[in-house]
Amino acid sequence: MSADKIVVSGFRHYFQSESGPVQATGVIDVTIREGEVVTLVGPSGCGKTTLLKAIAGFINPSEGQILCDGHQVRGPGRERGVVFQELAILPWRTVRRNIAHGLEIARVPKPERDRTVDRLIGLMGLVGFEDRYPHELSGGMRQRVAVARTWAADPAVILMDEPFAAVDAMTRLTLQEELGRLCATTHKTVFFITHSVEEAVFLGDRVLVMTKRPGTIKAVLDVPRHGKGGRDWDSFTGDPEMRAISEQVMHLVHAERV
Amino acid sequence: MMRRLIWRILPYAPALLILFVWWVYWTIKQPPPSVIPAITDVIKTGFELAGGRLGTDFLASMSRLLGGAAFGMITGVIAGFIAGLYRPIATFFNPLVVFFNAISGIVWLPLVIGWLGIGNALAIFLIWNTVFFIVFQNTVLGVQLVPEVLELGVRSLGGSRWETIRSVTLPGALPYILAGFRSGLGFGWRALIAAELVGATTGLGQLIFSGSEYHRADIIIFGALLIGGIAMLMDRWLLVPIERRTVQRWGLVAPDRRR
Repeated sequence: MSADKIVVSGFRHYFQSESGPVQATGVIDVTIREGEVVTLVGPSGCGKTTLLKAIAGFINPSEGQILCDGHQVRGPGRERGVVFQELAILPWRTVRRNIAHGLEIARVPKPERDRTVDRLIGLMGLVGFEDRYPHELSGGMRQRVAVARTWAADPAVILMDEPFAAVDAMTRLTLQEELGRLCATTHKTVFFITHSVEEAVFLGDRVLVMTKRPGTIKAVLDVPRHGKGGRDWDSFTGDPEMRAISEQVMHLVHAERV
Repeated sequence: MMRRLIWRILPYAPALLILFVWWVYWTIKQPPPSVIPAITDVIKTGFELAGGRLGTDFLASMSRLLGGAAFGMITGVIAGFIAGLYRPIATFFNPLVVFFNAISGIVWLPLVIGWLGIGNALAIFLIWNTVFFIVFQNTVLGVQLVPEVLELGVRSLGGSRWETIRSVTLPGALPYILAGFRSGLGFGWRALIAAELVGATTGLGQLIFSGSEYHRADIIIFGALLIGGIAMLMDRWLLVPIERRTVQRWGLVAPDRRR
């Protein structure tokens, strides 16, 4: 069994509003093990983004604690990379310089930096766009850059907050397959938030289902990956086991309609 | 091809139009030269002045303008960054900024003559007083409007606070900072001429002042044309190229001359 990478215990969060505190989440306990892809699916407003932000270190939990490699999370850090839903790559940096940013910050020497960046540009299908600025790219391309940027910095854990929600359905299928392949080849620990059941089952080694606000973890389902099993949409949709899991998750989520 | 040519000519068209109307009016009405002089007289005066005091006046004005504007821009950007990044500081200084921004530099002129005497320091102070507030307010707005997600992204790449300021806040606020520079420089010219009318012995303001003392409309109009012309050239050849290479290149503002 792999080591525990992220341990969330007794987490609960409140937001301050004009009329007093508003409960954003119920009590949440989550453990993410090294090298696994954990997806979290839940209705909008259930607090899944709040949980991700807390793990990223952008907010301090009102209750409970979050450990990364046994150390308490006290703020953002390079060992926890984040891919956001909205465009978070820098408009004033070219594709190449956006992807290299984390390595620049870590003062990685230029030859090594270039090698890593070139490899990711190849993996993410960005060849030929290295010197473009983000506004010259399509929405799907920009999200590819965002994923590549986070991967290049080589964090121990990658947190993804509905990264493909804003791209068109066709592009999304491609990006999901690419991400699946990237996860499988790099063995990264990934925590992925979505409101799409299919996406959660397609990408996850484990799927967490959340209740509606204030959200808690309602169910945890293992998704067995037989070899390359289900890392592309053709084999995924043809696999009865995957269909069964998807249906199960769908029922769980359906009961939480807001 | 034709479209490109039209776009090239378009910025110069209004000036040519005004000169044409002026020429037609003068030819038909023949007004006395102290009301409106002929274009040819203004040009002739320009050449005469160029052989005389114009060089000294021009250099005096330009050095004051550039000195005062640079001073105002640098302090405005630094103060604007501090106020933009730290809410309490912005809240503390905001009333003061509104208060002083409402008071034209001319109000301070008699006092400042007493403090600094007549000359460069006085003009530079009045230009600073104008440029600072415009640049400051634009910078604060620009800093506050940078999307937070860009900063969070760099923070989770391992970037320090300083790294986010350098690689996110500064370029992100640049469209507003440059807009502040452009309007600041324009208002800086106004402050310069106002300061020179009474608070200097050289400069284009003094040149115009001497023109008004002797009812020389040709000198006044020549001075006005010169000031407006230099301001236009500086905008077009200094600030616009900076915008084109930065904020337009990055897609933060719509590119000019492309539809």
